[in-house]
Parts: sequence; structure tokens; C-alpha cells
Amino acid sequence: MASAHNGMRLTLKIWRQPSPQAAGRLQTYEMRDVSPDVSFLEMLDQLNEQLIAQGEEPVAFDHDCREGICGMCGVMINGQAHGPQNQTTTCQLHMRSFHDGDVILIEPFRADAFPVIKDLVVNRSAFDRIIQSGGFVSVNTGSAPEGNAIPVPRHMQEKAMDAAACIGCGACVASCKNASAMLFTSAKVSQMAYLPQGKAERSQRVLSMVAKMDEEGFGACTNTGECEAACPAGIQLSNIAVMNREYMRALLTSHE
Amino acid sequence: MATGSVENNSSWLKKLNLTWVTRLFTSSIGRKMVMGATGLGLCGFLVVHLAGNLFLYKGREAYDGYAHALHEQEWLPLAEAGLFALFLLHIYLAFVTTWENRRARSKSYVMRESKRQDRVIAAPVGSPSNWMFVSGAVVLGFLILHIIDMKLQLRPDVQHYAEHESFANAIAVLSNPVSQVVYCLGTVFLGFHLSHGFSSAFQSLGLNHPKYTPTIKVVGLIFAVVVAAGFFLLPIIVPMSPGLVEQAKQVEVSIDEAPAATAHP
Repeated sequence: MASAHNGMRLTLKIWRQPSPQAAGRLQTYEMRDVSPDVSFLEMLDQLNEQLIAQGEEPVAFDHDCREGICGMCGVMINGQAHGPQNQTTTCQLHMRSFHDGDVILIEPFRADAFPVIKDLVVNRSAFDRIIQSGGFVSVNTGSAPEGNAIPVPRHMQEKAMDAAACIGCGACVASCKNASAMLFTSAKVSQMAYLPQGKAERSQRVLSMVAKMDEEGFGACTNTGECEAACPAGIQLSNIAVMNREYMRALLTSHE
Repeated sequence: MATGSVENNSSWLKKLNLTWVTRLFTSSIGRKMVMGATGLGLCGFLVVHLAGNLFLYKGREAYDGYAHALHEQEWLPLAEAGLFALFLLHIYLAFVTTWENRRARSKSYVMRESKRQDRVIAAPVGSPSNWMFVSGAVVLGFLILHIIDMKLQLRPDVQHYAEHESFANAIAVLSNPVSQVVYCLGTVFLGFHLSHGFSSAFQSLGLNHPKYTPTIKVVGLIFAVVVAAGFFLLPIIVPMSPGLVEQAKQVEVSIDEAPAATAHP
């Protein structure tokens, strides 16, 4: 029977975990009247309104800008980080990517370095600690210089900018079979290795960021390329090769 | 400054400043570099080994000539030790990194789906890159049997000849049904392993560039197919070639006629 509204009917299987220590389990929810025009997160909002109306605990999930630029959102949708669409964050994924009657499985990003806080929310502060270990420039670069004063060729600007597009959402870790953070770390390493301001500390940076990355319990890269495919910002695998080169260079040339 | 005895003890280590070597074997990236470098070294061995094995098709004289010339080289023990070191490092790091990688996600997903759209081999089990440990383990199993067969000559069900009868021994092993099955299986898994390993090694060593990476990927696939097919065909074609089997039988006859000859090769 056609309903009064022409929305989709969906069956959601969502990971519910009340606290970090709790076991957690998949819970099934039936939804109707989901517009194909809403985003995935708006669909979850709709579910939560439904749950609140029924007096149940709403599903916790991370989100902030909902414009695809902050890196806050991100869940596993049918086994894929950020869902089926390439180069798209969960907030920018729309329900038109699904069909009426679909069963959608939603899990949190899983990695031991990303412990679950509640339901679909994971703690990604391991990424912050990697940045703190060297993902910055501490040399005094003075006040904003005249645009043409620093000689950075156009193609290097573009490469650095492509690497800097990383929003730190953690989809690379979530989609990697080894829960490796190498795509994230390599984007941060190469964005600065490409620019003159970052070159002074390049050896120290790569050594300490990689050491921190290992210490946080992320796995190593096996070049499966899943991270690149899942990355909403289009960070490329070649960045990992740049990090490997930077690391080798640091091993052979630095005093550390 | 108070300098503890611990610092004094490690002073010679500090002078040598070998932290870069420790990093090479303890950090995730260092390990991958060693993994890639040893893997490429082993690829080089495969080429030499296959080239040598092709003498089998030319017959007893050519093969034994090659084998004896090789075994007479004074540097051979050194090369063998180097090869053994390559294998040992590659296998050790495989265990260590696989263990660490498994530990990075102790709670697995209910469902996993690839987002890659450029799969060369789109199998339901995943691409070769997901099975490097398994394919490597199968190759190792084959390798152990291969060493028992060829070097140690410990197989009770294979009629081995005197050590210097390389050709006859090779024919005897390659004609054995157990060896045939395991060798064929081993080489298929070897090709599977190489189809990812060859190009992956370059990435691990930091060699990724739009200029040559596409070529490396194609060359890697061709290398995997050629090497795997080259080894795969040996236990199939050689025992089915009457000329080669006949030459091996002549060795048997000569041994039967003069059994004392085997005592002092």
C-alpha cells in the first residue's frame, strides 16, 4: 500500500553502546517517510525525534558543520566509511543514495586507538596527539608576508593544498584492515614538507609523528588503498610514499 | 650533571648512534621499508633461480653443467647466507607486522565493504593485498618442502641420486605426485603474493610518482604472471618430456652398473 507521503521505508541496524565499557549490540529500527532529499545525518535526526517521542534514548553520533569540511561526522554505513559515495562525508551523503526498503547497517569507526564513547561516537583524540607531536611549524615565520615574497611555485602550492585538504575525520583508519593512520599522518607530514616554512623541522617532525602514531596503537600500511577510496577529502596514497621518503631521509640525514 | 651507570654502559652505543637502525626495525614505516627491500631482493633471487631452472629443458648436460659451475663458486655460501637472511627478515617482519596490525582492531566490524573502484582482481574474498600473510605462509610451506626435496634430499618416497647428479635428482622430485601438486599450488600462491608485493615494495620504499607508478604496477603484474607460470610449468612439462626422463634414466643405469661411483663423487 502506498503511504500518504512518498518517502522511503528503511530498516536501520544501529550499534548501541551506552558507555565505553558496555558490551554494545546492534538494534533494529524501522523508519518510514524518509525523504530522499535529506542527508544521512538528518535521517538520523528524524530517527532520534521518533525515539525521543517514544521515550527512548536517542542515538549518539558525532557531527558539527554538516558541510563536509569539519571532519567531525563519520560512521560505517553498510561496511563503508562515510557510506557508498566516494569523496563524501556522512553529512554530505543524501538518502537518494539508498532505495526504498533498504536495510542499512550503521556501526562506529572501529580501531583500538579510537575507543567508542557512546553508540556511534568514538574518541579520535589520538589524531590530536599525533598533531601535537609535530604537525606544526614552530619556527618564527613573522607576520603575514607579502604574497609574492615567499618563493613557492604554483605546483608545490597545489600539492601542499591537496594534502592540507585532510579534515581528520578518521575514515582512513576506519576503512583500513590494519586500522592504520598513515594516510592521515602522511597528509600532515607532506603538507608541510612541500613548503619552505615546514622544511626546517621536517626530520624531527616525521620521526616524532610516526613514533606517536605507532605508540597510539594504529596498525601499519599494507598498501591496500582502502583509505584513499574512503577518504572524503581525496587524500592520495602518494602522500604515504612521501612520508616514507621523508622518514628514510630523516633516518639517514638527521642527528636524531 | 649526574650521569648514571646506565648511561655509561650505553656510551659506546651512543657513539655508534644506531638509533636509526633500531627505528628501521621497530617503527611501522621502518619495518615496511625492510619488508619491501627484502621482498625485492627475493624477487631478484626468483629471476636467477628461474633462469637457472630453464636449463632443465636443455637436458642433463646443460643443467648439470650449470649446477656444477654454480656449486663450485667460492662465494656461494656467502650468497646462500645472504639469501637466508633475506628470507628470515621478510618472514620475521611478516609475523611482527601482522600481529601488530591485528592488535590495532581487536573488535571487528559486523560488515565490511571495499570502496575501491579500481580493483584488478575483484574477488569476493578481497584482493591479493588482503591475503599477503596467508599467501606468504603457503609459499613458505612450499619452500620448506622444496628444501627437503632438493637440498636436504630427505624424502623417503623420492628415489634420490648422488648429490652431484643434479639433473636426475630434479627429474626425480618433479616426477613425484606429491611434489607436483605442492609445487604447482605453491607457485600459484607465489604469483598471487607477487601481484601485490612487487609494486607494494616500491610504495613502501617511498617510490610513488605519476611518472613511473603506473608502469611499476603493470610490470609487477607481468612479473607475477611470468615468474609464477615459469615455475608452475616445470613440474608439469618436465616429467611429460620423454627425452628428459630418458636422460635421467641413463643416470640410473650407470649407477646400477657402477655402484661404487656414488661413494666418492
